[in-house]
Amino acid sequence: MILDVKGVTKVFGDGGKSRNMANDHLTFRIHEGEIFGLLGQNGAGKTTLVNQILGLSTPDRGDIDLLGESVIQSPARARSICSVQPQSQVPIGLLTPKQAVSLMGKMRAGNNFDPKRVGALFDALNMQEWANTPGEKLSGGAQRLTSFCMAVIAPGNLVILDEPTNDVDPVRRRYLWQVIRDLTNDGTSVILVTHNVLEAERTVDRVAIMHEGKFLAQGSPSEIKRSVSNHMRMELSLACEPADIEIPGCALSAHQNGSRLLFSMDPANVPPAIDWAKDQIDRGLIMDYSLSPTTIEDAYIALTSGKAVG
Amino acid sequence: MMTTLSHYKYVFQMQFLRNAGFLVVMMLIHILISIGIVIGFTYLIPNPDTSTILFLATGAPTIILIFTGLVVLPQQVGTAKTDGYMEFMRTWSVKRSVILGADTAIWLLITIPGIIVSSFVAHLMFHPGYDISWTIIPALLMIALTSIGVGYGFSYLLPPAASLGISQVVVFGALMFSPVNFPMERLPGWLQALHEVLPIYSMAEVMRASLAASAFDANMGNYINLLIWCVLGYGGAIVILNRK
Repeated sequence: MILDVKGVTKVFGDGGKSRNMANDHLTFRIHEGEIFGLLGQNGAGKTTLVNQILGLSTPDRGDIDLLGESVIQSPARARSICSVQPQSQVPIGLLTPKQAVSLMGKMRAGNNFDPKRVGALFDALNMQEWANTPGEKLSGGAQRLTSFCMAVIAPGNLVILDEPTNDVDPVRRRYLWQVIRDLTNDGTSVILVTHNVLEAERTVDRVAIMHEGKFLAQGSPSEIKRSVSNHMRMELSLACEPADIEIPGCALSAHQNGSRLLFSMDPANVPPAIDWAKDQIDRGLIMDYSLSPTTIEDAYIALTSGKAVG
Repeated sequence: MMTTLSHYKYVFQMQFLRNAGFLVVMMLIHILISIGIVIGFTYLIPNPDTSTILFLATGAPTIILIFTGLVVLPQQVGTAKTDGYMEFMRTWSVKRSVILGADTAIWLLITIPGIIVSSFVAHLMFHPGYDISWTIIPALLMIALTSIGVGYGFSYLLPPAASLGISQVVVFGALMFSPVNFPMERLPGWLQALHEVLPIYSMAEVMRASLAASAFDANMGNYINLLIWCVLGYGGAIVILNRK
């Protein structure tokens, strides 16, 4: 086992009105070679948890063991076991990606650093064209890929990635997931912090859904989905204002995201829902629709919005 | 030991290269400022005598060190805090003192050309009576470490806006209201008392005693003052870097 988090609680504020339970008795484990997704909205307490795993802050209650030893006792050891891609961009200034990644590799691995790995990573992410461009001239996506490479060049036992695919184009996102998968083949474990739920579903082995400092659910993506429902979901592309559309009675929960409207329903209600959707198209209210089994996004929304679905 | 050394090397490279453009510009600006202090003040003071010039010439290096440690550095730390780089550094698998040490060396390096060039120019133009003692090396180090240490201390402790404010006051105060470019006696009593506590006066005294050893003297109190501020500054910075 790589990581064992036992009842970690972290409270900010003075215990008065401003008291904020950032982490509330969190318990989970991560095994060798596992990719663990930490899903949650902004302010759910994900970064607070990560900072405690890294020994950057101390839990008020509970303990964290990394490779069998307490992080609270030896925070410096935790930083050498873990490597991190922060959520914010890493401003590398005049350094080129090649220089920045090589320096980070040398800093972490010392004499064991293998310079060939830099080129291999850049090839895998198709980013050789920027390898020698100074950081300040890089696009947001190229900067993000650079800080990803800095985290995985000499990864240690646990790599913590905080929203690694932000700003990255769809093609390179796929490459990036592949690099993450390859890391785990060498026994490295990964914590993936994200609110990009759909993307994470395809990659993670296990996932915890976090909300207001608590884990609402924990398990493999399919376990989580099953725990919420066996429903079908319909996704609509709206051609009108969301208020103009009348959601059919069979919808169990609805969620709107921009011009997308999602709702879930019992499988038995699929035929009438399709008729309903066709009718909406004829009336010009929606552009198209799609039907699929519940995704982890539905589970996530159902869990975090506190709606009883199922 | 070996790992600490190699960590130091890589952290130094990382910190220096990512900021190299700014640092080189800063180095050039320091050269201009220090020459400017010596020449500029002679415009302010008509027909200065040699002792006035000597005060200016031996004050300029101190101003440069104060400027670097208490003005430029806090601004850089403020930027690093705002863009999240500071938080990123805290995740590195190296000792925090290694990061602080590498950064200190970089700041020290960019001040030295200004000090050497301005002293040389002042000497050629005015012959103010430099009498450089071997103590210049430890004195320079001590003053620089105090200034850089205090700069780290308050800029790590305070939010970026507050440390920016302090650095603005410091640059004006050090130039106009501190006994760096003129004798302490000219200041009102309360400012004299304040400067007995603050490190600026002691920096100036120690610097002068090394650059013109036959004309000036620094007392033990000055060295102790610097030592205390230096320890406070770095100690505070380390505590804050390690704070949880």
